Amino acid sequence: MKLQMVGCSHHTASVEVRERLAFSPQQAADALQRWQQLFPHAEAVLLSTCNRTELYTAASESPPSHHEVAEFLASFHNIPLPEVFDELFEQSGEGAVRHLFGVAASLDSMVVGEGQIVAQVKQAYDLACSRRSTGPITHDAFQAALRVAKRVGTETTIHHRRVSVASVAVADFARQIFERFDNKEVLVIGAGETAEETLRYLVDEGAKRLTVVNRSLDRATDLARRWSATARPWSDLSALMTAADLVVSATGATEAIFALDDFRRIEAQRFQRTLCVLDLAMPRDFDPAIGECIGVYLYSIDDLRETCEANRRARQREWPAAEKIIDEEASRFVSEMRHRASAPTIQRLRATCDELKSVELQRLLNKLNDADVRDREEIVMAFDRLVNKILHLPMTTLRDDAEQPHHTGLIDALKRLFQLRD
Amino acid sequence: MNALSGISITCFSASYAIVLVLELSRLWFRSGVRGMLLLAFAALGLFTHTVYLVNEAARSTASAPLSSWRDWYIVAAWVLAAVYVYLAAAHPRQSLGVFLLPLVIALIVTAHFLADRTPFPQSDALRVWATVHGMALLLGTVVVSLGFAAGVMYLVQDRRLRLKRPLSGRFRLPSLEWLDRINGRALVVSALLLSVGVLSGVVLNTLNHRRDTNIAFPWTDPVVWTSGLLLLWLVAVSIFGAVYKPARVGRKVAYLTLGSFAFLIMVLAVLLFAPSGHGGKPGSNHGGGRGADSSAEGIRR
Repeated sequence: MKLQMVGCSHHTASVEVRERLAFSPQQAADALQRWQQLFPHAEAVLLSTCNRTELYTAASESPPSHHEVAEFLASFHNIPLPEVFDELFEQSGEGAVRHLFGVAASLDSMVVGEGQIVAQVKQAYDLACSRRSTGPITHDAFQAALRVAKRVGTETTIHHRRVSVASVAVADFARQIFERFDNKEVLVIGAGETAEETLRYLVDEGAKRLTVVNRSLDRATDLARRWSATARPWSDLSALMTAADLVVSATGATEAIFALDDFRRIEAQRFQRTLCVLDLAMPRDFDPAIGECIGVYLYSIDDLRETCEANRRARQREWPAAEKIIDEEASRFVSEMRHRASAPTIQRLRATCDELKSVELQRLLNKLNDADVRDREEIVMAFDRLVNKILHLPMTTLRDDAEQPHHTGLIDALKRLFQLRD
Repeated sequence: MNALSGISITCFSASYAIVLVLELSRLWFRSGVRGMLLLAFAALGLFTHTVYLVNEAARSTASAPLSSWRDWYIVAAWVLAAVYVYLAAAHPRQSLGVFLLPLVIALIVTAHFLADRTPFPQSDALRVWATVHGMALLLGTVVVSLGFAAGVMYLVQDRRLRLKRPLSGRFRLPSLEWLDRINGRALVVSALLLSVGVLSGVVLNTLNHRRDTNIAFPWTDPVVWTSGLLLLWLVAVSIFGAVYKPARVGRKVAYLTLGSFAFLIMVLAVLLFAPSGHGGKPGSNHGGGRGADSSAEGIRR
């Protein structure tokens, strides 16, 4: 097993270092090309996301050292290696496999169980395939990693519960109130990042009738244009609240923008129609008393955070089950790889012995001119039995050695003793 | 075929009970095979239920379907079970059975208690009206039960959302909007079905009266006046919903469906415990000795 990994992640490196070592897709493609020029016999896959940059390398014989890989990563970005060296980490052999499986299954992510990472691993692998920097070891390792991620997703609920405030607001609350969103009037108050993130989830759920209202009409128009929504001036807020089914409020206002009295004024015109208010602002945009009104379901950021935390804890509870799958798969993968590595040596040993046997047998048979056919067959069978018996024990020991996590160097010894060449 | 001819109420009741236990087990643990087991047992229950009804129809000497209270309840349970199987297949992650299956089992148990009631005798001339009367009331009962289950689910879901409890992965319920729609439709459809049932009963009695002037309309029959009350309630609720917009949505609709179910329970209790001309107990003085369906035969003066 000659797979190794050198890189940095949110566990080991500060965001500044991660930013400096990050690769855009184009940079990743260039880096793989340069890698092939520098190490033509080594395989490489480069995984670069906002939380990690990891270069997986492999070679059947004498792979580049960890230091050479680290130097490669730093020099690509023109960073002196000592500046980032302490924040890099490395994994080799089974450790590298286990790490890759854990990354793909999202166990190593900042938000455990997030679904994006498996797609990013696949993109990294696809890019390396298209740049022809992959080989048999990285092919097997990355295909196995994607399979493991799928298995963890199927056999555990680690991906099930949402952990971001916006996704919880939409999926765990609004989705429990409304069956569909395409016929709902969605009002977004504010035009910041939180408002936009929530809008993204709502559009994913099928929301079509979107209105953005903001104190600055320009910012509202800008956000509305990105999401095919309608921008309206702040003065229309009451009218928009009357028509709304779902309100997402995420302004930076220092005090509530909608008091109970404001709601009382529009309540009669709403005919107690269901209203879901996702108040994602801090301090809150809506008077909490509005949540007591008939037909109103009001959720503040604290309510949602509580659910996020509960979901995060639920994901953590799934961790042992996911880890068990990764251990199981990593052991199986490594064992298969070792079998594959020892198979050519075993084949060559048998071929060498067969060749010796054939030469000596032929010499003996040439001398025994008087021997009849039956005697000759007996002699051939005796030679075969002898070779099989001599090889039986060494081959069993070699196979057992391949099962062990730590090689005792038997393969290398055998190669030297019998002068077996690749 | 011999095995199928031996199917009894116990067979499908047991299947439904197993499905209910499986549905309830969602509250405690997750399982990858439960969904399949649940659907398999529900389908098995519905299949044996269907075979049972077919066998009963083949054995029956009665001239029309739904010719006894027992048949009537078992068919009502079958319709509700069929609705459940459809919903369980369409919404496999939601715990609808927790609310629907107790109603199915309750209808079967009620049918068991009504086994000794004599069938409704019907002349050929009145068979069509009797069938319309029976079917409309049966479907009305099913729809009111369905509305009740949706109403309870609405109130549970509403409470959970108001208390801001996180969504449970094990015990899932449909959205408030979906439940609200089912509640509203259940009220209107059950009102229509009960109207058809009561009107066809009036036609039956009119035809009987023309045939035999000794037969009077059974105004005092408890089943008739409690059914009338249920109809009045449903019509009032439908009119209330039509003229008062806020009554069409939210908890009000859920409470109205619970009210309808309370009226339905009253009708069923009257049927079980009070003397009635609607297929009475053998030897009873209230028409049961004749085994008369008062809607079909009326009550003789």
